[in-house]
Amino acid sequence: MKRLSLVVFCLMIVVAVAPVVTPAPTQVQAQEDTLTVLCTPQEDWCVAMTQAFEEETGIETSYVRMSSGESLARIRATQDDPEFSVWWGGPADAFIAAYEEDLIEPYEPELASVLAPNAVGEDHSWHGVYVGALGFCSNVSFLEELGIDPPTSWDDLLDPALKSNVAMAHPATSGTAFTAFWTIVTLKADEFEAAEEGTGYDEDGMPTQEAIDAAFEYYSELHQNILQYTRSGAAPGQMAGTGEIAVAIIFSHDCVKLQVEGFEGVVVNTFPEEGTGYEIGGMALIKNAPEPEAAKMWIEWALTPEAQVIGQDVNSLQLPTNPDTPVSELSVNLSEVNLVDYNFVAAGMNRVEIVERFDAEIAPQPTE
Amino acid sequence: MNRLYPSRHIAEFRRIFQDPVLFIGLVLVVIFVLIAILSPIYAMVDESRTTEGRELFDRYLNSPVYRTIIVNTLRMGLIVAALGTALGFLIAYVQVKVDVPFKRLIHIVALIPIISPPFALATAVLILFGRNGMISQGWFGVRYDIYGLDGLSLVLTLSYFTVAYMNLKGMLQALDPALDEAATNLGASKWRIFRTVTVPMLIPGIAGSFLLLFVEAIADLGNPLVMGGNYEVLSTRIYVSIVGLYNTTAAAVLSVILLVPSLLVFIVQRYWISRTSVVSITGKPSGVSQQIRHPLVRWPLFAVVMFVVLFILLIYGTIFAGAFTKILNVNNELTLDHFDFVINGYGSEAMKDTTRLAAIATPLAGLLGMIIAFLVARKTFLGRNALDFATMLGIAVPGTILGIGYLLVFNQPNEITLPLVGTIEIIPKLTGGRAIFGGAGAIVLVYVVRSVPAALRSGVAALSQIDPAIEEASISLGADNFRTFMRITLPLIRPAFLSGLIYAFARSMTTISAIIFLTTSRTKIMTHQILNEVENGRYGNAFAYCVILIVIVLVAIGVLSIAVGTTSGAERTMEGGA
Repeated sequence: MKRLSLVVFCLMIVVAVAPVVTPAPTQVQAQEDTLTVLCTPQEDWCVAMTQAFEEETGIETSYVRMSSGESLARIRATQDDPEFSVWWGGPADAFIAAYEEDLIEPYEPELASVLAPNAVGEDHSWHGVYVGALGFCSNVSFLEELGIDPPTSWDDLLDPALKSNVAMAHPATSGTAFTAFWTIVTLKADEFEAAEEGTGYDEDGMPTQEAIDAAFEYYSELHQNILQYTRSGAAPGQMAGTGEIAVAIIFSHDCVKLQVEGFEGVVVNTFPEEGTGYEIGGMALIKNAPEPEAAKMWIEWALTPEAQVIGQDVNSLQLPTNPDTPVSELSVNLSEVNLVDYNFVAAGMNRVEIVERFDAEIAPQPTE
Repeated sequence: MNRLYPSRHIAEFRRIFQDPVLFIGLVLVVIFVLIAILSPIYAMVDESRTTEGRELFDRYLNSPVYRTIIVNTLRMGLIVAALGTALGFLIAYVQVKVDVPFKRLIHIVALIPIISPPFALATAVLILFGRNGMISQGWFGVRYDIYGLDGLSLVLTLSYFTVAYMNLKGMLQALDPALDEAATNLGASKWRIFRTVTVPMLIPGIAGSFLLLFVEAIADLGNPLVMGGNYEVLSTRIYVSIVGLYNTTAAAVLSVILLVPSLLVFIVQRYWISRTSVVSITGKPSGVSQQIRHPLVRWPLFAVVMFVVLFILLIYGTIFAGAFTKILNVNNELTLDHFDFVINGYGSEAMKDTTRLAAIATPLAGLLGMIIAFLVARKTFLGRNALDFATMLGIAVPGTILGIGYLLVFNQPNEITLPLVGTIEIIPKLTGGRAIFGGAGAIVLVYVVRSVPAALRSGVAALSQIDPAIEEASISLGADNFRTFMRITLPLIRPAFLSGLIYAFARSMTTISAIIFLTTSRTKIMTHQILNEVENGRYGNAFAYCVILIVIVLVAIGVLSIAVGTTSGAERTMEGGA
């Protein structure tokens, strides 16, 4: 009898509480004990982040790692019934594209105010979690063999001695390579603007078609020195490390990671003096997320210094966006690097056209 | 009365209906083909038929750049199919017909490449023969540019020739030595026997291998990504279209273009085989095959085969060495860190998940393959060719397309609305972490779809060597179709069944492009992890994964060989008595 009454009592509680619990969105939080993250940076960082979040909140957190192009394609294909709640990492232009397609949901975390203005997306659709600058990652002994110094200018890469000895990723699959392309667009626009006002940028501050055409000219010249366009942005660094090529155009933190993880003394990291581009790694809530409250907790947490410092443990040495985060001494000090005035919105708007044109005009060209 | 049965095919249907087991088998097979193969492909083909798709067709086919890419793809496919079939035939012939030492070693080494995890061979070949290769640069001091067609041909041939080897070896062993003996007694030389007896008997196998190698080669993605250099092929274009340009229509259009040559080869092969098929009348070889001992034949063949064997060992040795060193060719310090990562680190989940799913898919694929082979080779019903064709599509379409097709079709529950009954969910949501089994259902289905064609081809090839009279005798003696299939057909084609199972398991463990879009947070797949490790430059981890993957597959081959058995009790008795 006692047992039966206990069951009845429990049932009554369930019946009484259930209607209150289910519809109220603020209390849904208590129900969400899982979170699924779409993670774009390196896998070991994804593991470290999800484990730390799980310890912090008790929410069982799992992830899938995909490059940013794949991520966007996956989110789009599954938009009616998304499996991921939050998307963390990868260049911001993919997030800008996702927001334009209505695939992500604006959400303003408390710490948004501490971020630099360029690390906050339109309508708080995305927020920056890390920053990294492009550099040249060179194989020291290969360069010695070729008798040239590590490149310190984009024009150094055009040296005929480097024929078939340079690698970069394909801008279509790699945010890194697209950043490299847009960097040249910006540099050409600055150059034109300095020569004659109005030729580099239009009245909206967008680089002109002439600047974009000039960037294509640069890359079709550089094409003669490119051995292969890799799929992934960081892959050319590996090729430089193993001596397949002399110079890789990659993010400088990826080059530092290579040095820390076994290629110390093999590769050297240099920057173009005239200016280099940079990426802001984004983070966003996915539209119709299955676990929206847990995802919001992740977004709040990922901007805290405690979360942003985790990358250093796994040698992911991108710079944190929260200024209160301690910076690893191994990280590249961006204040010593000449950065171009990188317009993420303009880059995002021109991305599809540039990538398709690159794919059609430059990548398939034969090299002599 | 004859008018009541306007066609033989319909009459055959009646016979199938009368046999419930056969009928159920046929229905299951048709449902499988419709749901798991045709609907995702249809979803993608449909995508290419939009206005935008038609414009893209025009643009691609009129662009010199894309024409070059198409020619590149075909050239690579033909080279690899020809080299791979030739190599497979050579090793199979030497293995079965020529008296050479180290046969066991040759056999094992020839099987190893089927367990080539994506990127492993290409990465190892680059380490050895790349521009800073240990052999090309280290020994010969040349900065050899292996990127492009020559490197791809080498790596793809080595990756896929095993399919040809397994098919042809099975068929060579099934050849009745009495044929050779008869030819010898009639005064034919060994060369003449080879030319007029052995090769004609093997033509279905040779053609089947050629087809499989061709479609494998033109759809391969991992190797062109790693060492394609400036040699652009369609599969990488499709990949860039989806992954980079986010353009599924362009990918669908390019896939349809890629599909055309595969289908053409398939049709030509069928036509050719049906015209030149030679059937041996006995079911099983009786007596012991006479081996070729002539020193001028034996030793040159042995030398060539051993060169190939050593080359393969060298490449796999590189993979092993890479798994145990920090960074091979840069920092050769020995370490176990990479294995620690795979076995104890976050890599372990993928290892367990992948093995489990492949183990589920393998028997399904093997049995399905044999059932379809039986239906296709032995029954003449309406739609027989269509069934064969549709099953082969599972391997003829590029994996990426299958993956995206699955997402399009199975990311929501599929329902049908019936009058009176209302809406019923016939297939639940299969893809994504929140689907049933954490998305593993779709992955198993893809594994099966990708493996069945090989099982089907080896099954058909084996069946075409066995006279149907043996089965007819069984039926005449009162056994039904099911009993005949299980007791007569399956034991006779057991080598093909075994090779189908082994292929299915190895294929499932190593497939990448088809499942790249289907891995979920709850179902991690080894090949996808290998891709991540290669991309991030942690070659050591990738190699360690490959080593463990190879060990798992080798263990599975052992288990399968014991489970299926190479000789049954009855045959042993016969051989013992002979």
